[in-house]
Amino acid sequence: MTQEQEKSFVTLINENQGLIHKVCILYETDKELRNDLFQEIVLQLWKSFPTFRGEAKITTWMYRIALNTAISGLRKLGRKIKTEELEEFHFNISDHSEDHFEEDFKKLQWAIRQLSEIERAMIMMALDEVPYDEIAENIGITQNNVRVRMNRIREKIRHLIR
Amino acid sequence: MEELEDLKQIWKNHGQGYAPKKESEIALMLQGKSNSIISKLKRNVWVELIFTIACSIALGVYTFTLEAGAIMWTIISLLVLFAAYLFYYVKKLMLLGRFDASDGNMKSSLENLYKKLSVYISFYRKSYAVLYPVYFFLGIFFGALDTGFEGFLTRMKDPKTVVLLVAVTGSFFVFTFIATNFYLKKLYGNHLAKLRELLDELQG
Repeated sequence: MTQEQEKSFVTLINENQGLIHKVCILYETDKELRNDLFQEIVLQLWKSFPTFRGEAKITTWMYRIALNTAISGLRKLGRKIKTEELEEFHFNISDHSEDHFEEDFKKLQWAIRQLSEIERAMIMMALDEVPYDEIAENIGITQNNVRVRMNRIREKIRHLIR
Repeated sequence: MEELEDLKQIWKNHGQGYAPKKESEIALMLQGKSNSIISKLKRNVWVELIFTIACSIALGVYTFTLEAGAIMWTIISLLVLFAAYLFYYVKKLMLLGRFDASDGNMKSSLENLYKKLSVYISFYRKSYAVLYPVYFFLGIFFGALDTGFEGFLTRMKDPKTVVLLVAVTGSFFVFTFIATNFYLKKLYGNHLAKLRELLDELQG
């Protein structure tokens, strides 16, 4: 690919890196593994960049690649569970000096991490205001199915952060 | 905090809860190596392929310096085996090459991945089912060369030797079959099981 393409790709990632960070935060709790996942997602996006023709929204394309990379499981396995347990422990004894928003966000983040990987992908898109038809398209299920699953996810989260 | 709108608010209010990467860092990532298991497997297969080619060339050159005899035929047998390995590695690379990033929806990507990984594992298992008997045959062949074909044929006339050979062969195949399956399950079993689990959840 040309230097110009590389430059426009880097700018694109830079402008939308929040999306990748959020995927990494929800799928990896270990900092090192999170950085690895970030790089892996960027590499997969770069590989797929020539086929992106702008027909879909840029965020839809990024969500697809990012979530497919995070969920496909063909990365390192093994250390994840231990770190997750530690994180949960840390959350339970969290320091009370955190401000209200930060605490709420941590609770939400913890609750989302307790969900299955597919549910995590769905709630993440919903929280980012992705419409249900796009969520359905990204996941590969019907809109009705998305509605039913989202209700279940909301119930689970409600139960988790009660 | 329960309703989706409230959750969205919390999600948004958090803003940049991460250290943003600079453009130069992102550009550097493009030069990096992929951490995926598939990329690592590809790199390993390439190293093995190059090593096999280098050994084949070295052995091929060495063969020309030898006179016809047991050592020369042994080396030629090894070269034939290496040639089989070349096809094996190329086929492996071809299969690994199909694991490209998918920008399709999650369900179809997972289905593709599951199918391709299953094909790769099946090829791995089948190729070992062929290669181990080749090793076994070569072992017997070299043994025969070492003791002389006539002596070998005489021993093969003894039913006890034949029964022993069949028993050893059977045990060898059973052991390698179990070992290969165990190794494959350890390497890829978790991934396949995980993919299956995700697909079941999507289909459920």
